[in-house]
Amino acid sequence: MLSVENLHAGYDKTEVLHGISIEVPKGKLVTLIGSNGAGKTTTMRAVSGMIRPRSGRIMLAGNEITGQDSYRIARSGIAHAPEGRRVFPTLSVVDNVRLGAFSRYARARARGDIEADLDRSLALFPRLQDRRNQLAGTLSGGEQQMLAIARALMLNPEVVLLDEPSMGLAPILVEEVFNIIRRLKSEGITMLLVEQFAAAALEVADYGYVLENGRIAVHGTADRLKNDPAVRAAYLGGAH
Amino acid sequence: MSKLLIVAAVLGVAALVAYPLVVHNAYYIHLLETIMIYAILLFGLDIVVGYTGQVSLGHAGLFGIGSYVAGALFFKLGAPFWIAVPASLVVTAAFGAVLALPALRVTGPYLAMVTLAFGTIIQILINEMTFLTEGPLGIKVPKPTILGHKLGEAEYYYVVMVLMLLSLVVVHRIVRSHLGRAFEALRDSPVACDCMGVSVYRYKVYAFVMSAAMAGLAGALYTHSEEYISPNTYNFELTVLFLLAVIMGGRKTRSGAMLGATIVVLLPSLLADLQLFRILAVASAVIATIAAAALILKKRKTVRQLATPVAGTIGMAIFSYRLENITDWRLTIFGFMTLFMVYYLQDGIVGWFRMQLGRVAPRAARTRELHPEPGKEADAWAPPRKTESGVLLDVRQILMQFGGLKALDQVSLSVATGTIHGLIGPNGSGKSTMMNVLTGIYAPNAGEVVFDGKKISGGTPADIAKSGIARTFQNVQLFGEMTAVENILVGLHHTFRSNWLDVILRTPRCKREEHEARARASSLLDFVGLQSFHDEEARNLPYGKQRLLEIGRALALDPSLILLDEPAAGLTAPDIRELIEIIRKIKEHGMTIILIEHHMDVVMSLCDTVTVLDFGQKIASGKPADIQADPRVVEAYLGDSGDILGAPAPA
Repeated sequence: MLSVENLHAGYDKTEVLHGISIEVPKGKLVTLIGSNGAGKTTTMRAVSGMIRPRSGRIMLAGNEITGQDSYRIARSGIAHAPEGRRVFPTLSVVDNVRLGAFSRYARARARGDIEADLDRSLALFPRLQDRRNQLAGTLSGGEQQMLAIARALMLNPEVVLLDEPSMGLAPILVEEVFNIIRRLKSEGITMLLVEQFAAAALEVADYGYVLENGRIAVHGTADRLKNDPAVRAAYLGGAH
Repeated sequence: MSKLLIVAAVLGVAALVAYPLVVHNAYYIHLLETIMIYAILLFGLDIVVGYTGQVSLGHAGLFGIGSYVAGALFFKLGAPFWIAVPASLVVTAAFGAVLALPALRVTGPYLAMVTLAFGTIIQILINEMTFLTEGPLGIKVPKPTILGHKLGEAEYYYVVMVLMLLSLVVVHRIVRSHLGRAFEALRDSPVACDCMGVSVYRYKVYAFVMSAAMAGLAGALYTHSEEYISPNTYNFELTVLFLLAVIMGGRKTRSGAMLGATIVVLLPSLLADLQLFRILAVASAVIATIAAAALILKKRKTVRQLATPVAGTIGMAIFSYRLENITDWRLTIFGFMTLFMVYYLQDGIVGWFRMQLGRVAPRAARTRELHPEPGKEADAWAPPRKTESGVLLDVRQILMQFGGLKALDQVSLSVATGTIHGLIGPNGSGKSTMMNVLTGIYAPNAGEVVFDGKKISGGTPADIAKSGIARTFQNVQLFGEMTAVENILVGLHHTFRSNWLDVILRTPRCKREEHEARARASSLLDFVGLQSFHDEEARNLPYGKQRLLEIGRALALDPSLILLDEPAAGLTAPDIRELIEIIRKIKEHGMTIILIEHHMDVVMSLCDTVTVLDFGQKIASGKPADIQADPRVVEAYLGDSGDILGAPAPA
């Protein structure tokens, strides 16, 4: 579904990614793990067009999307739930979710579908359902994260990018977020996940890539990575 | 300073000195004189716009005040030059303080409106207060007389030149000192600035006062330079011109201010001559094309990105040859050039050149010169403050209400000296509100906070910070445009005793303090493991490193209590291990820590006591192990996530 070939990207003078290649097959959940500064978020940003790659190719369902503007990439089917959530604080919960479907409103017939999708995504998150008319800025951190995911789903995307969905959440909510990810997976949604709880991420993922200093150090099925002693020691908090 | 810069400065001064000796035409001497007067004002305006990041549309008004104070003093009282100039400077500075008042309350477009109103009012007052200003008739003022000798055009030129160079040195020294760092800090994050003990309130006023003093000086010089002043000069267009000059030249540089002044003074004359305009248009088209070609070849930009500006300059060149009469088109051309500049060269001309040359900003180079030997870790730590009783912080019955919502409902908390006290609870339970109450960002509706035997609730964040409470922020609040080491230096602001005069004269005390602060900042960077990011702008650091830098900055305050708000959020397992080590070492140095954290492995391995909040109420408090087993805590907060998430960290 999504494939990244030999991607180089960075900011101003510094190159962060030195040629990485990633495959995200349809309906699978792929996770990127690595230490802070390894380039996980940069990869996500390059894929969703928030930064322009220096070289390399990004393909979505066989079409090249490299270097396109981020709104076009979103339209062609990549939904990005960014690090730090970034909800629209002065809009209500339900309007935030509706905005996720903004590009679909152009086709008049889609309207009914959108409202149906709206109910479907809110049903995934009962906490949001209860607060649908509250301003998003007044939600707690956990609720904002759910809102960001719900908003991303409204794009009816081919691929969802989840960047640190559990960041800053209470343990009980981290668990809830992972349950949601599991549920999305069972519905056949293709996902690329960056997560600080690498062990938990590998638990739900099909496949994983380990990033080190902007290069892929190891990749393999989630089961294989989980049992790789080197990966355990370096990234999974390994002392047990 | 780099050698290149010294050579450039010497050449520049030599050229300025030689200019009237070579050029005898009074018109051209006057032109350069005007540029230098504008440059003085722009140095000042840049403090407000570039360094503190505020907008001011009131600077033409301040310039007018300076002019008229000098003009009226001469016209009404016959005051000599050496009294009139300082008087202008002082009076205008006082008006600067007035202009700062709205800036303390509003920012952005609102501040623009208020300062615009200020400028307009000043112009109207000058017009109406005929008893002082002669109204629309204006005032005639001759060139000043010094020691009984009436200065000629060239002699006055030298007076202006000396004062301009003096202003340059003064402003340059101030913005490069701890004062300048305070200005930049309040621009990048006012809340963090206050929490570093640097009062945003006070430094905003300082910046406006300084900026206004420069405008006053420029105004007084302008009066004697023009020999005639009238209210029309100090209009809205002039204010916009000043702002444009700063932006075009490049903010946060003195060379940018001088270049900007040159452009706004010369441009009208250049645009008056069709032949000259054609040459300039063709030259800029050629430069743009070559620059674009180079950028595309180096793959820094795509053809699509650069097509518009290149086509624009070429279009302008062609257009210049079709023009019959330039005067009708002058404003249009000027408008287009402005639009182009603001759109494509946001860092100004000087900023653009710096980026193209790939040169590090000079301040980074300077830092390296002063860069001391990698310090011993011990240098980083001041001896811990003496505290009396066993209880360092006593929070009594705090009530914090937002509308109908009780974010904190009668919460009490007691933190013992030298311990790590964990504060946990579901998102939205009031932990961050508690942090904000403790650091004075919020004043509680009821209850009090007693720190080290003194009541601190109700105090300002800057005062509370200075009394010894430092913090980090859940959503990182670094000073983004400043380097890592400068961020820590802002935290060390309290170690400076030098005042304005010390900074301007660069006294031994000032030099010594700067040197010591840099040495300490460097070893603090070492302590949090960021030595390799010494001169990197904070916004370019990876997220996890930004969190560590915040801890380093908080330590710089020499606090006795440090509040860490989710330091492990977004960190991966190996980084978390490093963080735990750092927090342990901080404790070993006798500091007391309050830790908000969701990573239970961090909380459990570090904390001596843990307090749990839920819906603004304290539901439990005790030893970590007891808390972990408390059924209410499990239900509200922990869940049964232990298996995959709570991987216990190595002790």
